[in-house]
Amino acid sequence: MNVIGGIGVPIHVLLVEDSPGDVRLTQEAFRDANASIKLHVATDGVEAMAFLRKRDGYADAPRPDLILLDLNLPRMDGREVLARIKEDEDLKTIPTVILTTSDAEADIVRSYQLRANVFLSKPVELDAFEAVVRSINDFWLTKAKLPTLKSLQ
Amino acid sequence: MALRRPQEETVDESAAKYRGLLEAAPDAMVVVDQAGAIVLLNVQAEKQFGYSRDELIGQPVTNIIPDGFAERIIADDLRSAADALAQVIGTGIELTALRKDGSEFPIEIMLSPLESAGGILVTAAIRDISVRQAAEAHLAREVDELARSNEELEQFAYIASHDLQEPLRMVASYTQLLGRRYKGKLDDDADEFIAFAVDGATRMQGLIQDLLAYSRVSSQGAELSDTSSDEALQYATRNLGGAIEDSGAVVTHDPLPMVRADEMQLIQLFQNLVGNAIKYTKADPPTVHVSATRAIGRKWEFSVRDNGLGISPEYYERIFGMFQRLHKRDEFEGTGIGLAICKRIVERHGGTISVESSPGQGSTFRFALAGVERRP
Repeated sequence: MNVIGGIGVPIHVLLVEDSPGDVRLTQEAFRDANASIKLHVATDGVEAMAFLRKRDGYADAPRPDLILLDLNLPRMDGREVLARIKEDEDLKTIPTVILTTSDAEADIVRSYQLRANVFLSKPVELDAFEAVVRSINDFWLTKAKLPTLKSLQ
Repeated sequence: MALRRPQEETVDESAAKYRGLLEAAPDAMVVVDQAGAIVLLNVQAEKQFGYSRDELIGQPVTNIIPDGFAERIIADDLRSAADALAQVIGTGIELTALRKDGSEFPIEIMLSPLESAGGILVTAAIRDISVRQAAEAHLAREVDELARSNEELEQFAYIASHDLQEPLRMVASYTQLLGRRYKGKLDDDADEFIAFAVDGATRMQGLIQDLLAYSRVSSQGAELSDTSSDEALQYATRNLGGAIEDSGAVVTHDPLPMVRADEMQLIQLFQNLVGNAIKYTKADPPTVHVSATRAIGRKWEFSVRDNGLGISPEYYERIFGMFQRLHKRDEFEGTGIGLAICKRIVERHGGTISVESSPGQGSTFRFALAGVERRP
């Protein structure tokens, strides 16, 4: 066991998000929060699964330390992506954070049933959004102890 | 000397006295004896049923009103004629009538007793209510239609406000980012323009969030259940903690009852009213007192009394409207949705909300909620 995010070691975060405005905001917020984070972006569910399974041009994709997943996505939506991640022996240990504008009770329940690690609503205010990104970094990428790649193989 | 049957004579006598009266009545009038036979009728009744007088006199009333009339006035084993009649006097009964040509029409009849030497007769005033029934059916359809369009409107408000939030979040976030990163790096005009854009976008976010909150009162309300209004007020003041502390306000209350309410909404109601009381004030310290008194029909009337700025009578109605404000933005912040939400919450609970106040003397907001029935 080992704390992820030693200085200089890149931390890989996969952001699955179709809104370019949100992608950029998240990038900006992560850049302020933790300089060693490398943010990879998939703009729909199909692309996200290709990245995670290193297929269709993603052969060199790193295994992400954290997945940030929006629920409403084109082609394959976030619920389906979440279900596939958590059914996959290899991928299920990657912490998957639902980050969405939905605050519908049904979405929250469904996400946890599909074993999302945490459900977060995107705050409307910029300051609050940045605070959420900072707390994701503080908790999941700094404080939480996660299995190392070696111990999974 | 021929024997006259006294009953016939007295009926005729009564009839003579009564006939003039019947003809003056606007409704069809039919007089029936206790055996259910027609003894008298007016011209309106002839027209209404399509018979001539001679065709009906002496005939059973069931010829023109097949069900529901005769059995109401005829004595049976269980009750006397007087008892039977006593039960139906003065109440309108809706029945179906039958014309000579076999067609049916809806009627309302009013029965009243008529003492005659031959015994008690029953006078039936018969009104054709087909027009009224059609109007009622029409009204019911209109009400359904209105309810549906109301529901659609609510749905629309919810969807619109929810979906508008997304693009607006982009505008607000990026203008804020611009402001933060480039403040002082462009020129004074740019800083000013950005500030206006940020202010506008932020205010619009406030409006949209309020609109959402307003539409959620009915779209996401919970069932009413037994709720402690005392606890709801505690939660509300806890949520207002910062504002109460900052203003040094003193919030007091009498013992408060159990009521039938959606707890979250009751908390919001108290929070908005107490929040307003400590916001719109220059008093030091601001005071708010919440009390409840028994009102008619197992209801409790709550009042939230403050020592704030007060409201002139001409605004008593207006303040409960959507986005209605009495103050400029630089005096008091706010979108003007708080009391509209209060009104909606109280109305959803089947009550009304009102205010009494005079400027400089503080205000008292009153609303009623159904109490909890004690179970034995």
